[in-house]
Amino acid sequence: MCGKPRGACVRWRWGIPRTLVLLLVYLGYLLLGSVAFWALEGPIERDSAQRLLQEKWELLMNHTCLQGEALDQFAQGIIHAYKTGLALQGNTTMGRWDMVGSFFFSVSAITTIGYGNLSPTTAVARVVCIFFALFGIPLNVILLNRIGQLMLAGVQHCSRHLGEKFRWQDGATMLTRTCALVTGLLLFLLLPPFLFSAIEGWTYEEGFYYSFITLSTIGFGDYVIGMNPGRFYPSWYKNVVSLWILFGMAWLALVINLCISLLENSSNLCHCCKKRSKDVAQELMDGDKTSNLGAEDVESCSNRETKSKGLD
Amino acid sequence: MPHLMVCPRQIHWTLTLVLGYLFYLLLGAMVFQMLEKQAEAQSRDQFQLEKLSFLQNYTCLDRQALEQFVQVRGTSCVWVPSYPGNWDFSNSFFFAGTVVTTIGYGNLAPSTVAGQVFCVFYALFGVPLNLAFLNQLGKGLSAHLLTLGRWVHKPGRAQVVQTLTMALFLTTGTLLFLVFPPMIFSYVEGWSYGEGFYFTFITLSTIGFGDYVVGMDPNKHYIFVYKSLAAVWIVFGLAWLALVFNLGADLMEKFLQLKWHKPGLGMTEGAAISKSEEDPDQPRIHISS
Repeated sequence: MCGKPRGACVRWRWGIPRTLVLLLVYLGYLLLGSVAFWALEGPIERDSAQRLLQEKWELLMNHTCLQGEALDQFAQGIIHAYKTGLALQGNTTMGRWDMVGSFFFSVSAITTIGYGNLSPTTAVARVVCIFFALFGIPLNVILLNRIGQLMLAGVQHCSRHLGEKFRWQDGATMLTRTCALVTGLLLFLLLPPFLFSAIEGWTYEEGFYYSFITLSTIGFGDYVIGMNPGRFYPSWYKNVVSLWILFGMAWLALVINLCISLLENSSNLCHCCKKRSKDVAQELMDGDKTSNLGAEDVESCSNRETKSKGLD
Repeated sequence: MPHLMVCPRQIHWTLTLVLGYLFYLLLGAMVFQMLEKQAEAQSRDQFQLEKLSFLQNYTCLDRQALEQFVQVRGTSCVWVPSYPGNWDFSNSFFFAGTVVTTIGYGNLAPSTVAGQVFCVFYALFGVPLNLAFLNQLGKGLSAHLLTLGRWVHKPGRAQVVQTLTMALFLTTGTLLFLVFPPMIFSYVEGWSYGEGFYFTFITLSTIGFGDYVVGMDPNKHYIFVYKSLAAVWIVFGLAWLALVFNLGADLMEKFLQLKWHKPGLGMTEGAAISKSEEDPDQPRIHISS
């Protein structure tokens, strides 16, 4: 870590250019993404729009009593109904605000996933939703921090244990860390798609896409579990998925935090050459001094830990 | 094991946290169900009625064709013949923004396999980048706050000054990021103020249901500045709201922990934590094992 006076001074002097550089990188990244999505999705969408128009004309031709205007109006009605989250097929439209659905909505609100396949429509519900999220989001952050901290503590404990056993601390640390990363990857990102493809009938790739979009809290809502009225879902399914979301989010937050600290460290590296970063926890601590939504608690916990060890 | 940190006290704390969380979720589920079920049933009935009347009015139409039509309609885009399509450049940019900020409205989502895979990797690097960027912004904001705090600082009045700065910060931020923007939205988009505020909050908290999205009405003409301004507002607002949520989480945790633990332990721990939090730019000394 930088010496205090030098570090502070450097940070102050480099503060504005660094922000600028970051801003430029950010904008460049956004531009890159938009070009890519534009190129990937644009043609497909134009195709499907064409097909849709054609279908509409066919319908109008085949059923001559229909008027275009009435059909348009009806289509607007369908769009509205679809947006409010009704399943449209057949006679029975499945309601989604039952107890399980509401619970799922609450989860999606306070984890800030926000699938949006359900969203409150009445004014009162919206106000309630705002306040619910206002207190729920910090609560969620605390819980995720807690879980991430426990995971980290478990890994550290394991590595120390192994290190004592084999008298080779560095190797043990490396080993447990790799193990933890691989296990997390398997448990939270690579295996769940199999479950989804078995129960929801998605392909593996779709399941993976859903897993990532959910755990990163992006939550587009184009794929949502347990929302297909034509399928049978076992009762444990949603609970297991809820648990998966909770732990997976904590894990992904840890990983993303690690990425951030690496990113910031690498940009700090030219200023503080003497920095030696060996410990992931150490890096996390350094990183989350500044991180907003991360495992902030890890730091105080580890401080506490070192303190208690010092006492012992 | 002296260094095994999962001691009973912490298990208690975790357990309380988990229980509180679950309780909070259940409470929310109950309330939302209560509030929404009625409206949903109503709109469902209305839709069925509409369908039936449509079928009655146009007798040549058979049920199956309509069902098929409904199915097609349910899957995608906007029903305006001359619409240029959702995935033009500005909307793609907007989409990239919703990915890296994790807002994820979902009014646009990649439908091709390539698009989905790219989206995953794009988010994998974009989300940390976005967080780093927001951190930098937040750091700037809080640094200004600190200098402000030091400037007004007088011995013995630190608490008052701190509270005052915090209040000022909160008020200005609330006005700038939460209270004024809905007026603009309600003017441009034709929403009510309440809807605008709902949109504002759902966006800045990165929940992003996508039931209201700015600049997506195909019947409206938007000036170019509008979307750019909205983007700037989102970035700064996110930094601000993240700070506020952080503050909220800190306060809540401190409060809960102080409440829960035995006074002696709680006091020392709380003091240690608050001390370490008061001067965030002072590098800490880590005793490595």
